[in-house]
Amino acid sequence: MNENRNTSSDLAGTAAVPLAAPASQASKAHATAPVPVPPQAQAPSAPPEPALARVVVVGLASCFGCQLQITNIESHLIEVLGQFDLRYWQLTSDGHMPEDFDVAVIEGAVTTEESLAAVLRLRERAKAVITVGACANTAGIPGLASTRFDERLGEVYQHLPQACGTPIAPRSVPSVITVDYAVPCCPIDPFEFLEALGRALYGSNRTLGTRTMCGDCKRNESACFYNQGSLCLGLVTRAGCNARCVNLGRPCNGCRGVSPHANLESAREAVARYGLSVKDFDLRLELFNQTNPVLSGRE
Amino acid sequence: MTRTTLQVDHIARVEGHGNIHVVVNDGVVETVEVNVVEPARLFESMVRGRDHSEVSYIASRICGICSASHVVTDLKAIERVFGIEPSPRTRALRELLVYGSYLQNHATHLFVLAAPDYLGQPSVFPLAQTDPQLFEQALALKALGNELCTKVGGRSIHPITAVVGGFTHEVSAGEYRALAGKLEAMVPFALATVDVFNSFPVPDMATEGDLLAMVEEAYYPVECSDIACFLDAGISFDASDLADNIEEYEVAHSAALFARVKATKSPYMTAALARVNASWPYLSSNAKVAAAKAGLRPPERNPFKNNVAQAVELVDALERCAGICRRLAENEVPGRSTPPAYTVRAGYAVGFTEAPRGALFHALELDGQGKVVKATIMTPTAQNLANLEADVRQLAQKLAAQGVTEAELRLWVEKLVRAYDPCLSCSVH
Ligand code: SF4
Ligand code: SF4
Ligand code: SF4
Repeated sequence: MNENRNTSSDLAGTAAVPLAAPASQASKAHATAPVPVPPQAQAPSAPPEPALARVVVVGLASCFGCQLQITNIESHLIEVLGQFDLRYWQLTSDGHMPEDFDVAVIEGAVTTEESLAAVLRLRERAKAVITVGACANTAGIPGLASTRFDERLGEVYQHLPQACGTPIAPRSVPSVITVDYAVPCCPIDPFEFLEALGRALYGSNRTLGTRTMCGDCKRNESACFYNQGSLCLGLVTRAGCNARCVNLGRPCNGCRGVSPHANLESAREAVARYGLSVKDFDLRLELFNQTNPVLSGRE
Repeated sequence: MTRTTLQVDHIARVEGHGNIHVVVNDGVVETVEVNVVEPARLFESMVRGRDHSEVSYIASRICGICSASHVVTDLKAIERVFGIEPSPRTRALRELLVYGSYLQNHATHLFVLAAPDYLGQPSVFPLAQTDPQLFEQALALKALGNELCTKVGGRSIHPITAVVGGFTHEVSAGEYRALAGKLEAMVPFALATVDVFNSFPVPDMATEGDLLAMVEEAYYPVECSDIACFLDAGISFDASDLADNIEEYEVAHSAALFARVKATKSPYMTAALARVNASWPYLSSNAKVAAAKAGLRPPERNPFKNNVAQAVELVDALERCAGICRRLAENEVPGRSTPPAYTVRAGYAVGFTEAPRGALFHALELDGQGKVVKATIMTPTAQNLANLEADVRQLAQKLAAQGVTEAELRLWVEKLVRAYDPCLSCSVH
């Protein structure tokens, strides 16, 4: 990432945490060069009281669930709101997107030319970009429509209404701009968001873990789904949710994204060893990782 | 000759992105368009070819706030195709899940999205300063909705545990009892909420469209029935006959399809207000008293009263869910919630629930392998758009005749849109 961000900024920026999702590196076809973060202007003299960081929250193609999770920070909400200046949040207030802000929180996948332009603009203006949720990080569920996209438009609409904007195949935010902090899952855990916001506001070097989930799951002493003849994507999914679904009796569907350390080949071998369909495993992986180049590399 | 063109870009404090365009020429309303400018996410296409077990998981992501309703509606459709009859215990849990989203939705809509209109504030945050007690209780109510969804579904939105035929996990009897206590303790605040929203002055108007709601013999249904009723036309139909009764159509200015009653071509409203009109006698006793005190009795056709109807439903939901939790704790609800084994078969059926914002339909055609051949999803907001436009026209005409200022016109039009509690991102799926 951009070293400039290591110098003083009113965000106390430290080394930005690179988003480890492979999508950010390898997207090619539509790759727009990541927009560099402009170097911070040095404050002429240290102001006695640092101004609150100005935050905007923006929703693209999404279910709004991650924004709802942010409003779910009930008892802490007011306290947290006092720590920054919420410039724009369409979900909760009147008013229009301001010109100046420090942190852009982006929910949702990029699915129109208009939202692509908006994301590029956000990157130009923001000192830090935080993506929240699978839709933004991996194109998530909206990304399921990224293959045969034009055909799909025709399946749903006879005439595409103007109001849909100019659709483009769904893609993740890190495939079009550099993202500083990513909050994974569908929906996000509100506390993971607070942590990321804290890192954006006060700086920290902590990164998202890259282990896969099975270790956590075994520590929870859950019976492995593979022994019960069911697929589970915990094999290749980034750890960190404490195997939330598995704990409740449901296999992991991979909403945290494929771990950069996942070995897909050996996972597929394991699937076959348990007598389960590798094709079904790959299909299941599409749920949240359709646009991940790791998957599109398969035949 | 005065020509007023009202363009509200980016309707604030609704879920999703939309604009309203109103043209008033010399006191006559010429154009009313509600533009939904959400990007199409193409859910109906993306579930095609996928296994039935994944459909509810995907469809849940249409909308965070009604995710529980999308899941339950989808499971109902699948079970109808396969001929699975869920146990009363499973149904009770689903009712809790749906009502959990009512508490979340109605509390958020009333306090975060609608109330600032009537208090003259740009957002809910100043309320935290001016009336911290109200603000805190409103947040506590929403938190209780989250807790209910989390206990039953495993997470406050996008439930994990609800699957075909049952639930993969249940909490302990003690947790049900604790929940019941918390739900009961919140009733006084919900009763006060009815009074607060009833005290806000609203224009006198009556929607001319029809009203659509789920109906059931002697019950206030949100999940347990498959029968929908157009209250004015007097047409009751099984959800699986959806296509014979509701007509969807495209309009260029909206990314969402519009809908009307097939038999009468009338637009219609589906919302808390329609439910209260359909099933008023079966509201919980406190909810009924509160509704009567607020003057909310059928027939009530003022769309602004949807806010009061939601507040009444809060009272009802709290009492109803407390009762369900106690019965679950005491094992008084027959059957088990463990998902049963089942065999897949080909077929077509429609799942139907009352989502917080109104009737929600998922039509599913499955093949012999249990994979989706075709899916059609009809959300409450999409169904409401045509009626909303008609009501905005009626309101604008009325206000224009009174010679109100453009600013007042704008404010009331926005208030009306918000009273419908639209979920624009839901409407374009
Ligand atoms: S990541 Fe999931 S919860 Fe978040 S906006 Fe996308 S679909 Fe909704
Ligand atoms: S595959 Fe799934 S169930 Fe098995 S150990 Fe890994 S996370 Fe747990
Ligand atoms: S278990 Fe898998 S699907 Fe469930 S929350 Fe964790 S990463 Fe997401």
